[in-house]
Amino acid sequence: MPEHKLSDTIKELAFQMEEKEKRAAELIIANNELIFQNEEKEMRAAELIIANKELIFQNDEKEKRAAELVIANKELIFQNEEKEMRAAELIIANKELESFTYISSHDLQEPLRKIQIFATRLFADESQNLSDNGKEYVLRMQDAANRMQSLIADLLAYSRTTTSERKFEATDLNLIIEEVKNDFKEVITAKQATIEVGKMCIALIIPFQFRQLIHNLIGNALKFSRPDKTPHVIITSQIIKGIQAKAKNLLPEKEYCHITVTDNGIGFEPKYKDYIFEIFKRLHDKEKITGTGIGLTIVKKIVDNHKGIITATGELNKGATFDIYIPST
Amino acid sequence: MNLEKMKIIFLADDDADDRKFFEDALKKVTIPTNLTLASDGLELMSNLEIVIEPPPPDIIFLDLNMPRKNGFQCLEEIRNTPKLKDIPIVIFSTTTNEEAVNKTYQHGANYYVCKPTSFQLLIKAVETVLTIEMWQQPQPAKEEFVLEFS
Repeated sequence: MPEHKLSDTIKELAFQMEEKEKRAAELIIANNELIFQNEEKEMRAAELIIANKELIFQNDEKEKRAAELVIANKELIFQNEEKEMRAAELIIANKELESFTYISSHDLQEPLRKIQIFATRLFADESQNLSDNGKEYVLRMQDAANRMQSLIADLLAYSRTTTSERKFEATDLNLIIEEVKNDFKEVITAKQATIEVGKMCIALIIPFQFRQLIHNLIGNALKFSRPDKTPHVIITSQIIKGIQAKAKNLLPEKEYCHITVTDNGIGFEPKYKDYIFEIFKRLHDKEKITGTGIGLTIVKKIVDNHKGIITATGELNKGATFDIYIPST
Repeated sequence: MNLEKMKIIFLADDDADDRKFFEDALKKVTIPTNLTLASDGLELMSNLEIVIEPPPPDIIFLDLNMPRKNGFQCLEEIRNTPKLKDIPIVIFSTTTNEEAVNKTYQHGANYYVCKPTSFQLLIKAVETVLTIEMWQQPQPAKEEFVLEFS
């Protein structure tokens, strides 16, 4: 082989060798790179496994929560139904109670009337056979029977305010007051009472109930008069906005018919201002002032039926004022 | 006794005491009367059947709450029976509730008396009712329909 050719070959070989070494070094780098990437991927995979587990766990939790919600929801539906049932039961019980009050007080009148008639006959026809004590007993029996009669009459009136039809009519309060004044004309004459009636509104009311309300208030004003003063009752009315009223719980922008009944009677201690509206509550000895303790309860009930408010203010021996607010429309 | 002047009265009331009170009260009334009692509406109607061939009663006192046939039913039946329809009927009841008053007024009762609570008032009530001329008279105005004795 010629010499130059050999050297060429050697050069060539050396070159190839270098090339291979370069390639090998490159491969090593590439390999390292791959190893690194592999490790990365494995790490990523491990992370994904963890994340996956996390997701599965969260999913389970959500399903559990959802199941719990379904149960809670059912529970709520059940409770709601229960409440509706209770409410319906209460309405029925209330109706029953109302008709019970009505029927019982009506049916009580019949035997009571007989006691009264027998007592009057005993006194009138048999008094020659009775000792003075015996006569006294009969009279006391009559007194008690008469008291029971007013009690029943008032209970009936009270139950009628809840059971009767509630038909609202635009009514001139003057007419009602005139009628009531007529009811009391004998007492008014006997006590020389004056009833001063200002300009009255036309109010949207249940006429027969409101008549009862005015009857009870004027009746009280005349009954609880002071022995040393002739009774003076002042009745006023005007249309006002809720915001102008002294009373609480009125809608500020709504219009109300504000009626006041003021007297100069024996009044009451201010601490009793709410107590006097409670049923059977009396501030006076029944031997001194007759009454059943139902009158003002009826008044309150009627005001309630009109979606109104009533307040009482009084001072002992100075008189009392009743403020009534009923929606004017 | 002169039958012409004697008032023939029918009473229907299921309560024995009330019938007795009424009978006794009637004895104290100065007007001569002839009383026929019934203890319920059925008995009243059969009394009317028997006695209707002259003379008919001058007045029927009718309780409302009665067994077998109540006062409302009697009132309607009497007013719907041509030969009975003109007989004056006075309701005699413990009930003073508006509904009963309105219903009996609508069905043509002549007066409504709430049973009084004393014997003296009962006599007065019976006497007052007996002196009101009702035969061939129009039904009074609603305001005069209920007679109160207290």
